[in-house]
Amino acid sequence: MIGDNPFIGVSHLSQARARDRIQKLDIERIAGVIDKALSCGASGYTFSIPHQTNLEILKTLKKEGKTERAFGLYPILPYAEVYVRAANEKGMRGLARDLMSRLPLGAKARVLLQGGISAVTFDPIRMLKAYVDMELSSYLSVKPENAELRTVFLHEVVVDLALSFGLVSIFDSFIEHVHDKYHATPGFVTRNFARFVDFFHDNISCNDLTIMTPFNRIGFQMNPSRELCEKHLAEFSNGGVFAMSVLAAGYLSLNDAVEYLRTLSNLSGVAVGVSSPDHAEDTFTKLKTLAS
Amino acid sequence: MGILHSGIVNSLPGAQVKAICEKEDFLVKVARTLLPKTVAVYKDHIEMVQNEEIDAVFVTTPIASHVPLILGLIRENSAISLFVEKPLAASGEEARKICDGVRDLRGAYMVGFQKRFSPILGRAREIIKEDTLGELVSFRASSFSSDVLREGRSWRFSKGTGGVLLDLAPHLLDALLWFFGEPVSVESIKTRVYSSQVDDYVHAVMSYKSDMKGYMDTCWSMRGYRLPELMIEVYGRNGTLTVTDEYLRTMLNRDTEGKTRGETLLYKQSFDTSVPFLLADSEYTKEDQEFLACVENKTGPEVSFPEAAKVNELIDRINCASQVRG
Repeated sequence: MIGDNPFIGVSHLSQARARDRIQKLDIERIAGVIDKALSCGASGYTFSIPHQTNLEILKTLKKEGKTERAFGLYPILPYAEVYVRAANEKGMRGLARDLMSRLPLGAKARVLLQGGISAVTFDPIRMLKAYVDMELSSYLSVKPENAELRTVFLHEVVVDLALSFGLVSIFDSFIEHVHDKYHATPGFVTRNFARFVDFFHDNISCNDLTIMTPFNRIGFQMNPSRELCEKHLAEFSNGGVFAMSVLAAGYLSLNDAVEYLRTLSNLSGVAVGVSSPDHAEDTFTKLKTLAS
Repeated sequence: MGILHSGIVNSLPGAQVKAICEKEDFLVKVARTLLPKTVAVYKDHIEMVQNEEIDAVFVTTPIASHVPLILGLIRENSAISLFVEKPLAASGEEARKICDGVRDLRGAYMVGFQKRFSPILGRAREIIKEDTLGELVSFRASSFSSDVLREGRSWRFSKGTGGVLLDLAPHLLDALLWFFGEPVSVESIKTRVYSSQVDDYVHAVMSYKSDMKGYMDTCWSMRGYRLPELMIEVYGRNGTLTVTDEYLRTMLNRDTEGKTRGETLLYKQSFDTSVPFLLADSEYTKEDQEFLACVENKTGPEVSFPEAAKVNELIDRINCASQVRG
């Protein structure tokens, strides 16, 4: 999969480099990078929402038919920085009010903010589902004809927080909603892979989930340790696992990454960011050799 | 920050979140509905410590509430341990009130300067303390973010409890105090960009007993910063050191015994940052582990209240220097 980090100014190695890189990328160029990656073996695009750049990318791919190749969409929500900034600016109450006013929940639920409904009638699971629908709708409405929604990922901010308190209902309802409404695979991004797998094994019954989590030679962001993550990957049988941070945010070479990934036997795929057509060609041509 | 710390603490071995306290009706309802029944939800912190058997409280409320909240908790339980999200208080005077209040407290008390747990900043400090750079001549430092690109409406934008010095700068000021100690004199310039009650940009020049001088810039209204970024560049007679949240670079002018000449570049990835449970950044987990170890072993953390109060004193001096100069 093509990851969106270079397109939205994210680098976990150097934010200054990310800022420089984004200056050189416009939506047309990004669409060209995606097309090149798809032609070299990439099969999908994983991207954060809400993010205006990703909305523009999809619009451009659809409007101008930038690529004719079929590919999968793997959105990740919610993109946390948007909400952290809003909370800083407006306070938690202001953020909650803004968010509720956008949700298609009806006036009754919105009264909550004034404290007019008791906790008994309050249904955060319904809010979660409404939130997913609200965020996805604008992106799905502009998706290209040849793109198919394959997985909806819940962002690690929600996944790992829910994991810390063992909130089974969050995971259950998300899985059910993605299955029933979108006929797609429920996905979870986590930086606590070993703990997540143990928790799912003990608490959730789902055999087609997709997990996206860091795997790289130096164990960067692999918690609690590279060894435990590798052991849990080998034993995982409830769906697929996609590796991210395979270059440890650009710290490792592509050859290093490919060599390490070859040692892992149970991976379903890899997500990696590329910032130019040449970069895309080099990266996905090499990654494609993993599948053979 | 309360959500972040509660998630980490509840995932660490030997620790459990027993109760939370929240004043906002909407968030109380969310917490009561979502959280496991083993976590009690209160709207009053005194009631919480009276009813629950708890060893420690994390205070992650607006800065203006720190003094009454902390002193109230201590009055109820003189053995409680306290973790306070930075900065300790809104002013040096308030910080002193808190330090006086905890003088007889039997629990641990710590402030959340998580960058002290950054392996990069830690290594940078070692290099400075080891005298690798030789006699220190000067430094330049900055802390920038894009957090405020229009007038905000929360307490962060209210006079006395908000502004860039109390919100974004404390980590940088704490790092400068950690690296170099307290300056003997401070001069400053402050400017408003979008806010009407608080400063959005501050420039401060600091002089030290050793004759070293340095300056820092902090602004939360810079465009293009996805996350807050910190940078400190130190100039010594034997070389320079640059440290950010992401990397540490040293350029040494000449060989000294056991030291490599030329450039050395270490990224965060050069260090082992794996933790038992990760939320946001490993520095938060390491910080919480340190606090919980202090609670259990009844020892004092490095970033105690008196240590953190130095940041408030320095902020006061920067504010005061600017007022004097008009």
